[in-house]
Amino acid sequence: MSTPSRSGAEEDVQRRIPDVATLISALDSSDYLADVGLATALFLAVRLPQPILLEGEAGVGKTEAAKALAGLLDTPLYRLQCYEGIDAGEALYEWNHQRQMLGIRLAEVRDAAVTETDLFGPEYLLRRPLLQAIEHPGPRPAVLLLDEIDRADAEFEAFTFELLAEAAVTIPELGTIRATHPPIVILTSNRTRDLHDALTRRCLYHWIDYPGPERIAEIVRRRVPASSGPLALQAAAVITKLRTLDLAKPPGISEAIDWVSALAVLGIDRIDATTADRTLGSIVKNRDDLELVGARGADWLVAGTDG
Amino acid sequence: MAGTPPHTAAALPVVEAAALAAAFVTALRRAGLSCSPDRAVRLAEALRLVPPSDVESLYWASRVVLVSTREQLPAFDAVFAAVFRGGFDPTVPPRKAAAPAASPAAVPGEPRTRPSPAEDRAPGRAPAHPPTAPAIASTGPDAAGDRNTPGREAVLAMASTEERLHGMNFARLTEAEVLEIRRLASRLLVATPTRLSRRTRKSTHSSARLDVRATVRAARRSGSDTTLLLYARRREQRRKLVMLCDVSGSMEPYARIFVSLLQGAVATAGAEAFVFSTRLTRLTRQLALRDPDEALARAAVAAPDWAGGTRIGDSFRHFLDEHGRRGLARGAVVVIFSDGWAQEDPDQVTVQMARLRRLAHRIIWVNPRKAAPGYRPLAGGMAAALPYCDAFVSGHSYTALAEVAAAIRGDGRSSLKGRGNQCR
Repeated sequence: MSTPSRSGAEEDVQRRIPDVATLISALDSSDYLADVGLATALFLAVRLPQPILLEGEAGVGKTEAAKALAGLLDTPLYRLQCYEGIDAGEALYEWNHQRQMLGIRLAEVRDAAVTETDLFGPEYLLRRPLLQAIEHPGPRPAVLLLDEIDRADAEFEAFTFELLAEAAVTIPELGTIRATHPPIVILTSNRTRDLHDALTRRCLYHWIDYPGPERIAEIVRRRVPASSGPLALQAAAVITKLRTLDLAKPPGISEAIDWVSALAVLGIDRIDATTADRTLGSIVKNRDDLELVGARGADWLVAGTDG
Repeated sequence: MAGTPPHTAAALPVVEAAALAAAFVTALRRAGLSCSPDRAVRLAEALRLVPPSDVESLYWASRVVLVSTREQLPAFDAVFAAVFRGGFDPTVPPRKAAAPAASPAAVPGEPRTRPSPAEDRAPGRAPAHPPTAPAIASTGPDAAGDRNTPGREAVLAMASTEERLHGMNFARLTEAEVLEIRRLASRLLVATPTRLSRRTRKSTHSSARLDVRATVRAARRSGSDTTLLLYARRREQRRKLVMLCDVSGSMEPYARIFVSLLQGAVATAGAEAFVFSTRLTRLTRQLALRDPDEALARAAVAAPDWAGGTRIGDSFRHFLDEHGRRGLARGAVVVIFSDGWAQEDPDQVTVQMARLRRLAHRIIWVNPRKAAPGYRPLAGGMAAALPYCDAFVSGHSYTALAEVAAAIRGDGRSSLKGRGNQCR
């Protein structure tokens, strides 16, 4: 899996991403603002190449990072949302049995002969994200996002990693499918359980920190074109303030984006106590938290955020 | 870059990158971070791709490659600072003038693992250790100085065992105790309620879902039309078992047995274990060893505040924020071992218990003081928590602990059931 035969990324990829600074500006132009830490992490994931495990609070942009990377490489993103009990049939491939039976019936009606090779041909194969990523014809590797890997069982985790290390799938009826361009693998985890050592050993790791208000404002402006300058900064300041409270679900960047979008839809271009109170539902999504914020009052929330 | 003046660092030859990587990984390993040698190889490659033209890019490249969980970050930062920021970065004044002097430039990379002589930072400890020890000794006090939660696990592993063990002394368990605990733990396992899993199992009952895939496969094997229909039904799976044990001063007489039970439950029933007094520590990893004595010794090292004060509400809040909400407590059976004596406002306990109630499948409170004649749950935290518990048992003896298994199973439901729903 790891060392001796690693040859680095393909030339085309190397040309597109020659160094960290280029990656930062490329991500920037696809409207994803990455700091040097995240950019270094993604750069190494692409160029070593090696799977990377991204962790961080909900809403700091783990999934978005994968999307942005796929976007700037101009390559498809295959996303596998993990959940408990996910198995090879849902992650890798499955035969389309209903269609096979239909094929047999049709052949019978038409009085044609069907062989097993016909029935187990590629057109009856349901390709799931892992197989799609491995089969991706190029010219550049696809990006494979294994979202919330900690939700899947430990056995599935091990299975996935064997598969990715080999970059090949053997389907008994079809033979071995080998990846011409092994995918760039990005994993995310919410830390509901300890991931297996075997997985962490094979992965790069990056913890995404929560950004400061200026950066949030910058991200919001990129995402919500309708938001005028002060509105984004004001919203970011309120969100940052909210995060100092002891909330069960502190609002993240996605809440900031939702909120500013909501304000834009309502035609509000300035947050004051009334408008904040009316739209609080887009950022605080838990009754206990609402009570806590309510106790502080909307005036406290918007005080000093006019800057 | 070792041994070269800072301004030429950009042109780092590959050989030197390898030496640097190997040396840095060694330093991290001595500081208690698990860094396999293949990481050094990976770091050398990474440094080829990301030339360490300044400390910042070196920091990010090595952090991305060498760190594998958030918990390791403080320890990593401490070692990185000691190794690179101390003697090398021109913008940061060296903390110890001895650092560059002690590392002759003749051996590239290697001197970096010894940022300063041992006697500089850990007087009195130096004689006990051969010259390889300084990296450990130098990071220990630094990192242990800031007592923020994530740093604790990795950093304390560096401290000497004797130093930490005095707080909590698990005498070796006797053979009989081990057997008893194992027996109890396996009863807990059988008792844990089940739920329907997403995975399926073959079934003959036609009431289950038709498994087309298996049916066609079987038909293919026999080479005929489908005659035998195969069904799949959802498999039953045990719910997660989460145990929270109070190890504060007032619980001290019971802590040894309860933590042993936690160990048994983790090792045999795959439970999740936490202990708390003034704060919460996750012990699942430490307790997962098969050998109970070894596991308990590790647990004693990992949780620093045995027999301290109690902050139940705060510990629960930490549990829910960091673990429970993310999935650990969802649909789980939560067993709490505590006498409910807390130093804080009972309202905090109420709020957190309400949150736990909304996540967990069952909550069982084990309070050894319940066995005392005339006991009434009046202690602030206990009174606040009780409305949210499904069962309230004593667990002051082995026999009583067997009740815990019954409570987990949920038979002979205590009268508490349903009371939680009236509140809020």
